[in-house]
Amino acid sequence: MSKVKGLFKARWMSSLIFLLLLFLITGVAEPDFLSYSNIISCFNTATMYTLLAIGIAFVIMTGEIDVSIGSTLGLSAAMTGLIAKQDGSIGVMLLAVVATGAVIGLINGVGVACFGVPSLIFTLGTNSVVRGMIYILSDGRTVENFGGSLASYGNLTLFAEITLYYALAVLLVAVAHIVLTKTRKGKYFIAVGDNAGGANLVGISVTGTKLLAYVLCGVFAGLGGFVFASKYGQVMTVAGNGYEMTAIAACVLGGISLSGGLGNMVGAAIGAVIMSSISRLLVFIGLPSTYDNTITGIMLIVIVVIDALTQRRSIEMARRKRLLSRTAETAAEGECQA
Amino acid sequence: MKAVKKIFKHWEMFLLVFLVLEFVIFGAVNPKFLRPQSIMNSIVNYISVCIIALFVTLVMITGGIDIQAASIIGLTSIIQGYLWSDLGVNIWVAVLLAIVVAAICGGLSGFFIAYCGVQPMVVTLGGSFLYSGLALLVSGMSATPAYQGISGFPSKAEDGSFIDYRFLGKGELLGVPMPIVIYVVLIVLCVWLLHRTKYGERLYLIGVNQQAAEYSGINTRMTILSTYVLSAVSAALAGTILTSNVNSAKYNLGSGYTLAIITAVVLGGTLNTGGKGSILGTVLASLIICILRYGLPLCFDVSTQNLDLPVGIILVLVVLGREIAGRGMIAKAIRTFKKSAAA
Repeated sequence: MSKVKGLFKARWMSSLIFLLLLFLITGVAEPDFLSYSNIISCFNTATMYTLLAIGIAFVIMTGEIDVSIGSTLGLSAAMTGLIAKQDGSIGVMLLAVVATGAVIGLINGVGVACFGVPSLIFTLGTNSVVRGMIYILSDGRTVENFGGSLASYGNLTLFAEITLYYALAVLLVAVAHIVLTKTRKGKYFIAVGDNAGGANLVGISVTGTKLLAYVLCGVFAGLGGFVFASKYGQVMTVAGNGYEMTAIAACVLGGISLSGGLGNMVGAAIGAVIMSSISRLLVFIGLPSTYDNTITGIMLIVIVVIDALTQRRSIEMARRKRLLSRTAETAAEGECQA
Repeated sequence: MKAVKKIFKHWEMFLLVFLVLEFVIFGAVNPKFLRPQSIMNSIVNYISVCIIALFVTLVMITGGIDIQAASIIGLTSIIQGYLWSDLGVNIWVAVLLAIVVAAICGGLSGFFIAYCGVQPMVVTLGGSFLYSGLALLVSGMSATPAYQGISGFPSKAEDGSFIDYRFLGKGELLGVPMPIVIYVVLIVLCVWLLHRTKYGERLYLIGVNQQAAEYSGINTRMTILSTYVLSAVSAALAGTILTSNVNSAKYNLGSGYTLAIITAVVLGGTLNTGGKGSILGTVLASLIICILRYGLPLCFDVSTQNLDLPVGIILVLVVLGREIAGRGMIAKAIRTFKKSAAA
């Protein structure tokens, strides 16, 4: 029973309820929406954002931020496209995107964790650098016409209309979730984000953990780039521009605190689904897609404000409880002395 | 050697040296670079970032961040265009209304940040979605298609000079383009506000320690809220100037400026954790980026698409260098402290 209660108290649960509520509202407005294939395609289209969100979730949990993932996604996508054009195998592409992501993540990690540059500033810089490298790599042109086997994987469905990529992404979410909650090393991420000084005192390497978080973030963004290239079949030089903000928003919606030390991977994955399905839901409700950003913005603000207020209330309640028990104690002591 | 170290101690000095070096190098490679008219034009092209960065500096000194300002540029632009062309409102009234709307937008975000305690980055991220979305909606109400942009603002006098609304973006005062004149006025205003008034002192204090500021009798919440209003209003001004300059009101004007604004502020030496920074630094950093974007294509044949790379590299190197230099100084301070303790 207490487990069930704990489940409902979990922060990601509220985002899941929110997602279901969104589906329900859309279903009320347009009953046609509530079919299996519609709902499952909401999940399928979220593949890229899911990858980005769980990647950046590692970094956000340690209390840092990474705004370079959009460019990293673009660069890996362009790389995938160029390799595909030369008839490279899928293995080579995956190796290339993972390596690219890892190197960019490593650079970010070294700058932030080893040199102590504020993460927003440093990743802003690498964001521009990586974006510039896309231009150099692709000669300022859109990478396209690479077709071949790569494009065919993009819409490959495994079973029950779930695409191969989304299934793999879910697998990654599950692995990341288990690593974070069940293993010793995984718990370091939350510990570092919650209290870096304290983590350091109990012997956790803060630098190492942050470095690892950035590398993982880069790798996930690289994989996102692979999915991008495979799905769209063309990579523009501005590919992935602004995706970092959507990924951050997904994490926030999923209950991950931007000050670090709070949240989990399932939440990030659900947040990604919310972010990517809004435009689809709007179509069913009957609003034009121009309402997309407005609704996203309102939703984001409302959720974080409610979250902040409830958190403040719970803190105040806890404080009151503490105070009351203390006064009760002193009163009891007073009686004893009397 | 000592002189070099002294320069690094004052960040603004370093930026100034950097800016002068830019002028020297670009000027030596291509004398055309030094034409005042072209230099001023390059600043006018980048004016939105320059203006907004000034006021985002205030926000960041209090320890906040504002990533919604760029979306407010588009919102004010399209509101002005819509009011003027579809509703027939006088253009100056439209400008005023747009600025009021922007102030409300900034106030709303500021309220959530200051009074509800939500992280600034999250609220302004939501704000950037919301306000760019609203801009698109306003654009949808207009008779002009969204991609076209509303144009034909009151512009030319009979002798061909720019007057009325377009004077803001295209006119000249004593040979200096109006946007730059406005920019200079805003710089003076900001320097006065931040470095000469109690308000400015409060901003620094809040950035260093909000709780301490609160206990010392400062209305920290109202002060924080006010910085977001100011930055939104500056975005509205930038939007007005930009609209008047390009003679087109569009919902997505300036949508790509978010990171550029933050870059200018942090390169200027403002800490994103708050409590440190100056207007002069932000101005110099804005100019450095601006001149770089103008000079590189002209003198070194860098394609204009490719400008992200050098700006990014410079930002990374500069912040790394500053951090390393800062560490050296801290180590030195500890050494001297130990020495004095031993003595």
